Amino acid sequence: MVYNENRSQLEKLIMNYKHTLLAGMMALVPLTIAQAGDAPADNYTEINLAVTDDQIIPRYAAFATASATLEQVAENFCATPGAGSLEALRVGFHDSMDAWQLIQHVQFGPITYFNWNFRLQYWPDENGTGARQLDALIAGKNTDALDSESFARESVGVQGFPALERLLFADDTLAAMQADPFRCDVAMTIARNISEIATGVYQRWTDEFRTTIASADERGFFESAEDATIDFMKSQIEPVRRIQQQKLEDVIGESASAVRVRRAESWRSARSLKNLKLNVQALDTLFNGSGDVLALNTMLLDTDVATINEKFADLHTTLDALPDGLEAALEAPDGYARLQQVVAGLDAIFEALEAALKNTDLYLGFNSLDGD
Amino acid sequence: MLLTRRQFAACMPALLGAPAFTFADSASPLFLSAASDSADTHWVIGFEENGDQVAEKFRHALPGRAHHIAVNTALGIYIVVARRPGKYLWIGDLATGNPLGQIEVPGDRHLYGHGIFETDGSRFYTTENAWQLVNGDSGRIVTWQVSRHGDTVTLDRGAEFPSYGVGPHELLLASSRDVLVVANGGIRTHPEQPREKLNLNSMQPSLVYIDARDGMLLEQHFLDADWHQASIRHMDINASGEIVMGLQYEGEPFDRVPLVALHRRGEAVRTLWAPEPQQGQMKQYVGSVRFDASGDFFAATCPRGNMITIWATASGEMITSLRSRDGCGICASPNGFLYTAGTGRISHYDPAADSITEFDTTATGKVFWDNHLSAWGVS
Repeated sequence: MVYNENRSQLEKLIMNYKHTLLAGMMALVPLTIAQAGDAPADNYTEINLAVTDDQIIPRYAAFATASATLEQVAENFCATPGAGSLEALRVGFHDSMDAWQLIQHVQFGPITYFNWNFRLQYWPDENGTGARQLDALIAGKNTDALDSESFARESVGVQGFPALERLLFADDTLAAMQADPFRCDVAMTIARNISEIATGVYQRWTDEFRTTIASADERGFFESAEDATIDFMKSQIEPVRRIQQQKLEDVIGESASAVRVRRAESWRSARSLKNLKLNVQALDTLFNGSGDVLALNTMLLDTDVATINEKFADLHTTLDALPDGLEAALEAPDGYARLQQVVAGLDAIFEALEAALKNTDLYLGFNSLDGD
Repeated sequence: MLLTRRQFAACMPALLGAPAFTFADSASPLFLSAASDSADTHWVIGFEENGDQVAEKFRHALPGRAHHIAVNTALGIYIVVARRPGKYLWIGDLATGNPLGQIEVPGDRHLYGHGIFETDGSRFYTTENAWQLVNGDSGRIVTWQVSRHGDTVTLDRGAEFPSYGVGPHELLLASSRDVLVVANGGIRTHPEQPREKLNLNSMQPSLVYIDARDGMLLEQHFLDADWHQASIRHMDINASGEIVMGLQYEGEPFDRVPLVALHRRGEAVRTLWAPEPQQGQMKQYVGSVRFDASGDFFAATCPRGNMITIWATASGEMITSLRSRDGCGICASPNGFLYTAGTGRISHYDPAADSITEFDTTATGKVFWDNHLSAWGVS
């Protein structure tokens, strides 16, 4: 990877924000607006800000808070590595991962700065690059590589949740950490780095990106309010297909004998299906909002909204009956069939959303979808 | 018909040796682009600027999705080139837009969406895929003899020579009319898997200069080995013979690689970087590059990054970026650049005034403009 000087300078600035941030997190007042009638709405700015204030910023705030706790429990564990402190660290990992899964669907705005998205979660890693790089880092015993600035410039393969999960959820994690304090320092560094990124993303949304959305015009980052709405709508529809394909189809294959559990997102921490449940929950909320707060469903025809919500309801029913781990789900006699049902459920939502969008003026992409 | 107007071509890459073109004293050039609609019908559309509106001059259905439109000022025709892996060349009359026929490449060849005319209009060159060859030499340059008698246009397929690489994409004529410049994208594809990329680990894109008379290789340039997955796809040339290249990176989305480069014959390739955050926001993909009429500035469009970047040629620095959702087609126009988007939007950017004009596109309606915009200036 090649980084230029600007990048590290900017990142340094952002990281310096960190310590003043948590105190600055404030309660956000949701914007409440009456639901539109049967025609699709075109009040783009109001919808954009309602979603931003009621969903995006609170979710990033929760992610930053959970990740700050993760950093703390990692420090505690490395100070006194024992069964109890490891359990607390694993809980911290789960809480931070929960918060990340609830906002993972947003792939525009600050999360794309400085490769933050890839540095939080380099996955899928089809060649096992991350594991090799992490082993090399631990074997190298170079403490200089673990300061914040240096570590931010390390390969994405040693940063983020997959690397931390690898260190925390092995059978011999406790013994390995007790035997090698540097290994624990690496885990602590990854946790701190996650926390710094989570804080940075939150800070950028509150300091700048909300304003960017509110003030969209032809010379801005968004050329219009509708342009920003399209990014929200892409956050609604694209993850449906992505989780269907990456989180399930690539794992369960064409038949029960073709399942490759280790392709699942979080097989080590036995929470691959929990991730998916949280994703679907977040996508449902992005679509329907909470309470009377405006959400993306107002962009679509009422009949289409009803169809989409039927599909969501079907999928919730299927998912609710499944455990958090994919391996556990497969132990049930009808486990494979039920995972296929989840695939079908996601596919149905995607198709319904795509059909609904054709009844609107919203345009999601053409040239950008295929290379040439 | 042809000789009664003063004519000049633009946005087909400019030619050295030809009179420098300028729109300064032109009313409105004719702009041409391929487009599709929501019924998946593919069109060639000609339009003009008319105040703050666009005026559609013609629209004709095409046999399939198209890519670039080559303009032949001397013979008053344009050729719409099928998008990869299409096989048709669709010929139209510049003055009226009317169709003048179409031709297909042979069964064991397909087009890559680009073609270029020689200045005098008598020759046309296409980039093609001899897809049955899988040893790195499938790229082909094909020479066509062009003639026109009334409404009869003849395209005679002539000599074919190697492009010295795989996946040749855009091509130009360089300082001498006898030198072709070709962007070998490096990506092997097969028509039976039309959009699959088959050699991403071994791809070797290159920029080549070829003698148009006999197909001899004159110069070939590769990027640094670290960047071998940066496919060289699109190019333009200015009056001083400088070439700008737009790249599409096939590696990891988080790698930092150059996406724009400049080159002069006999020199090394000069890779350029946008500042952050724009470099990251380009999303590893440049869709089209064009110089302005002066050649002092160029634009690199980033449809995945929803952004148009404007650069100074001499310094190699990006000077500004403009938001344009799915914006890709661009060409020089009076006082700057005209650009189109997959959203149907058409806009103009004037670098001197640093101002954007968005046109009312009621006339062209809801179409998805394809990747490339061409122009034909008439006084």
